Formats: sequence, structure tokens, C-alpha cells
Amino acid sequence: MKLLDRFLNLVSDLLKSAGALALTLMMLITVVDVAGRFFKHPIFGSVEIVGFLAVAVTAAALPHTYKVGGHVGVEIITRFLPRRMRLLMDLFTRTLTLILFSVVAWQMFVYTKDMQQAGEVSMNLEFPLHYIVLFLAVSLTFFSGTILQQIVSTVNQLRKGTTR
Amino acid sequence: MSPVLAGIVGIAVMILMFMTQMPVAFVMALVGFLGFSIMTSPDAGLVLLSRNIYETFASYDLTTIPLFILMGQLGFNSGISKRLYSAGYTFLGSVRGGLAMATVTACTAFGAVCGSSPATAATMATVGLPEMKRFNYDDALATGSVASGGGIGMIMPPSVVLIIYGILTEQSIGQLFVAGIFPALLVTMLFISAVFITCLIDENAGPAGETFSWAARFKALLGLSETLMIFALVVGGIFYGLFTPTEAASVGAFGVLLIAVIKRQLTWKGFVKSLMETLTTSCMVLMLIAGAVIFGKFLAVTRIPFEIASWVSGLNMAPALVIAVIIFIYFMGGCFMDALAFVTLTVPIFFPVVMELGYDPIWFGIIIVMVTEMGVITPPVGINVYVVYGVAKNVLSHNVALEKIFKGITPFLIALIIGVIILIAFPAIILFLPHLMYA
Repeated sequence: MKLLDRFLNLVSDLLKSAGALALTLMMLITVVDVAGRFFKHPIFGSVEIVGFLAVAVTAAALPHTYKVGGHVGVEIITRFLPRRMRLLMDLFTRTLTLILFSVVAWQMFVYTKDMQQAGEVSMNLEFPLHYIVLFLAVSLTFFSGTILQQIVSTVNQLRKGTTR
Repeated sequence: MSPVLAGIVGIAVMILMFMTQMPVAFVMALVGFLGFSIMTSPDAGLVLLSRNIYETFASYDLTTIPLFILMGQLGFNSGISKRLYSAGYTFLGSVRGGLAMATVTACTAFGAVCGSSPATAATMATVGLPEMKRFNYDDALATGSVASGGGIGMIMPPSVVLIIYGILTEQSIGQLFVAGIFPALLVTMLFISAVFITCLIDENAGPAGETFSWAARFKALLGLSETLMIFALVVGGIFYGLFTPTEAASVGAFGVLLIAVIKRQLTWKGFVKSLMETLTTSCMVLMLIAGAVIFGKFLAVTRIPFEIASWVSGLNMAPALVIAVIIFIYFMGGCFMDALAFVTLTVPIFFPVVMELGYDPIWFGIIIVMVTEMGVITPPVGINVYVVYGVAKNVLSHNVALEKIFKGITPFLIALIIGVIILIAFPAIILFLPHLMYA
């Protein structure tokens, strides 16, 4: 389990770095494209490249954002619950989230296959779109792994009865 | 089950699930997927889930969001906020309540590079609270001005909420941006008046600070130049059609980065921190949009938005009354839920109603952002209040009770209500610039 933990943390860190790189490239490509346009030399297919990088930015940030509790939730009721109840509630919502994103990841692999078979490519660069969807599917799989990791941690806390 | 009944059940289940603290984005996606699957077929539901998430993440229009967030983060980590604050401080510091006024003004200026309200509040709290403490400001006024001032970042372009509104309702983001300028300045003036009146009522709330020479004032004013330059480039570029919003956001972020590097104000660590913070916030926002889009598709098959729109138009109620009810719902919703999440959730429901009544979509966008701005400072979920509470704990030597901060926001809340009434009575304040853009 510890090995899996370390592996997932490593992947999360790698994805985070890939996302940061994609974000920087997104900014730079657009700026160069704008500057190039004034000199009548825009970057060919820049809109498509930025769209691909956008997928990388969000997909790569999924595990890290979940781990640091970056998604907004409504805390009105839960903050008044006793710790044990709160942990049980956590377990319930995390399990639902795991089911949801396992389905999304699975469907994204199906979508990848559909796109590959249909031979879908981007309009200008004619880049095969299934690679982009595949990257998203793989990120979602690791994201599901991160959710599972959090579920195990919640279960451990429930067992030990320790404070979070 | 009739489609409308299915929709009502779906909304009820969603509200119940919100109470479990499950992230709003995930609840919307889950309920939307299940509801859509029941109403159409499980296969259609599965296809909806994957296609919509991919399309949201790959949307070129939505790339505006991470890029504008990056611009704000780079501005924060390169110390722009400090220079903005000191500019306001040298001009207003000597007046009673002047530091709080300087804070509000700096919030508006920082809002011109940062599109997020809690980020603006956190930034200005870090800079402004220790100064106000030094001059024995009342904790309520000090924290109240920072928490409320942060809200101006939501209206002042670039604004993340306005981008999302624009995308969900297919309105021009450029027009929404320029429409936000005058309302943001109006709110700034109203907030300054609120500080002035608070200090008239309680003389000890905000004692006068140092007086600066005109030379020092003009020197500090130079600190505003880079922000003004970036703002002019970004909003001016969109206004004159030189850039798309995504291009403007890239140019703005790159501009802030370039200035920071040339002036040696940004370390490598600060740059990496900006990127990481941007990734987390962008992921949260884009997931919210993906969830809202999936939930919106479910709502569309239940026909609830259209039924509500035709029901309301058949009521023969005065349109102003309907708007008042909608505004009240946004105000209450903002009190219980994150502003961004509430807007993404409800715009698909209320937008058709407002259009049916013949209101201007740009005007409505600004009005709901103004109203949700109240939500970020009102209990129980006022996010800015919690942000300022957290920052105050770190930068002041004592804790400021949450109740005290909530008490401190009262004059600003009244100012915001007056602001909304003015904007409803004089829509031209909002629509003047966007109409000029068309002309």
C-alpha cells in the first residue's frame, strides 16, 4: 500500500509539473502568435495547440487539486457534526466521487477508441485528437487513484479515531 | 414521471447532496448524469459525461480563465499589491479612515489585474491589516474594509465570474468586461463613503495617519503605472478588437511577468508558486463549469428553465418585481454557497426568464455579479470573511473574532445595496461603455 501511495504521489507531482509547463507554453504561444500577427506571421494552428494545452492544464491538475481540497463544497451542516460523523460523511462522498470519476475515466477510454477508429483529426494541424483524449483518460485514471488514496486515509482515521 | 417532476426531484437531490460537503462541481455532474440517463438512456448519459468534460477542458474560450488567474497570481507574487497600497496610502493616509479608503482603492486597482475576489481580499489583507493595526484602527473597520474591498475584484475586469457568465449565456466577454468598469468605480466610491460615514459616527474607528509630501505622493503614484499599463493593454485591446479575451489574458500575464523580471521583483520560487496556484484554482473553476454544463443538459431535457420562463411571463407580474425576486434568490444563494458555484448553477435557470422579460443580458450579468458580491461577505458562507479571518490570524498579533468582521462589513453591505439600486435605476452606467464598443 505504501508503495502504491508513493507511486501515486510521484505521478501527481509529475502531472502537476506537466500542467505548469503546459500553462507557460499556452501563454507564450498565444503571445508569439499575437506578435506574429502584427508582422503578418501568426503561428499556424495556434488556437488548436492552445486548446490541446488547455486539456493538459486541467487534466494534470486534477489529482493535486483534489488532494489539497481545492474544490468548493458547502460546509454549513458538516461543520457542526461530530468528528466521527464528519469522517463517515467524507467516506460517503469520496466513495460517490470515486464511482463517478471511474465511470468518467472508463468512458474517456471508450471515447479515445471511438475517435481513433473514426480517424478524427484537428482542422488545421490535422493532429489525431484521440491522443489528447487519451491523455485526459489517463489523468482521470490517476485522479481516481488519488480519490481511492483519500478513501483509505479516511478509513484509517476512522479506525484510529484520531483527529484530522 | 413527467420531465418537470424529474427536474424538480433532481434539483432537490442536488441540494440535499450539497449538504454532505461533496464538491459542488461533482454533485452537479453526478446528478446531471443520473438525471439525463433516466430521462433519455444510460448510453446517452455516459456519452454526455465524457464528451462534455472533454469539450469543457479543451474549449479555447475557457483558456481565458487560467491565463487571467495566472496574471493575478504573477501580480501578487511580484508585489504589485504593495505598490498599489502605498500609492493609496500616501494620498489618503492622513484623512480619518484614510487607510481603509486606501485599502478599498488598492483593491479596485488590484482587481484590474486579478479576477478573483478571495485572492484580492487575501492580498490586500496581508498588506493593509498590519498598517491599519499600526494606526490603531478598529478591527471591525480594518477587516471589514479588506473583506468587502476584495469583492470589487469580481466586477472590475478581468473577472472570472463574468467570463463564466459570458460563456454560459453566449454573451461577449469583451462587452461584459467593459460593462464592469463603471459599476466597479461606483462601488469604490460608495465604499469610500461608507468608511467616511463610519468614522464620522465613531471617531476612534479610523484615526488619521501620516501626511506625505506631494513629492512622495507622485513618487508613489509611479507605482501605479505598470498596473495601469497592463489594464489599458488588456481591456483596451479587447475594447478596440485587437485581441480576443484569451489573447488579452496571455498578453496581460506575459506583460506582468516581463515587468516583474525586468524590475527583479519575481523570484523563480514566486513564478513556480504562481503557476501552481493557477493550476489548482483553474482546475476548480473548470470542473465547476463542466459540472454546470452536464447539469444544464439534464435541466434542458426536463424543460424546467423554459417552463419557468413561460410561467413567469404568464403571471403578468411587473418585470421589476420578477427581477427583485431573482436578485433576492441570488443574495440568499450567495449567503449559503460559493458565488462562482451559485452563478454557474443558476444562470441556466434564470437567464431565459430574464430574456423573456426583455432585459439586457449584459446588464443582468453585472447585476448578478454585484449581488453575489454581497454573498461573499455575508454569513454563513461569506468566503472573503473567512479568508480575511485566516490572514488576520497570521499577520496580526491577536485573533479577530468572526463576529467582529461580520459587524465590520455592515456599512459596506449597505453601500453595495445602494449600488445595486443605483444600477437598476440607471442601467446606462452599465451599458454606456458596451454600447460605445458596438458603435
